[in-house]
Amino acid sequence: MLLYRSDEWYNKLSQEELQKLINQNKAWFEKLTSQGKAKPGRALERTAVTISGKNGRFVTDGPFAESKEAVGGYLVLDVETIEEAIAIAQSSPGLAYGGAIEIRPVAEECPLDIRARELAREEQLVNI
Amino acid sequence: MLLFRGNDWLKSLSSEEKQKVTDQWMAWFRRLTDEGKAIAGNPLEREGKVVSGKNRVVSDGPFAESKEAIGGYFLLDVASFDDAVAIARECPGLPYGVQVEVRPVAAECPVASQLKHEAQLASA
Repeated sequence: MLLYRSDEWYNKLSQEELQKLINQNKAWFEKLTSQGKAKPGRALERTAVTISGKNGRFVTDGPFAESKEAVGGYLVLDVETIEEAIAIAQSSPGLAYGGAIEIRPVAEECPLDIRARELAREEQLVNI
Repeated sequence: MLLFRGNDWLKSLSSEEKQKVTDQWMAWFRRLTDEGKAIAGNPLEREGKVVSGKNRVVSDGPFAESKEAIGGYFLLDVASFDDAVAIARECPGLPYGVQVEVRPVAAECPVASQLKHEAQLASA
């Protein structure tokens, strides 16, 4: 999965630059989907709330679009290796203007399950 | 879309607690899928890479033990933002420190929307 980070970089661009980038992005994405390497990706609205705390009792605004951690959009890839995903991310037209893309393998198994198994194994070892 | 943030919270749990949260999380996702409210969802591996800048430099990260790191996501199909917030509040990880970010999926790329808006201003 590709996660597009820090999405306010495009505010610096002129109208022509933006239009050029949009066209490049569209062509890039169409190429990837026609090759079967990308599933439909979406942009995310800039508004966000974050829920936290027991029973979800805290509802706060953000993260805000200017922050480094903000995610602007995502793309789910269908590729064999992380190297291939990195190569695709590197070919993204937006990078030339200062965006960043996080590449994360989709887990075969939930990391919670894996960790629970590890802990169970450790406890077994202690009990021997 | 729900983005589950934080993946350092797991460390403080016993294996029974972990098993319990995992089972609750799976049951939650299954129920949402059966109700037609969740259309996709995946956990993400803890390790990843970041590509950035003009020179397309590849670096390690994000670092797994961070409050901001994204551990997984659900793509929802609901009528309103409030429905999504209500679902986010059911997340079984919340009592353990997970944060759930709720984000509307955009109908159009925000870069394109901004461009249209600028064009309108220019022609006004």
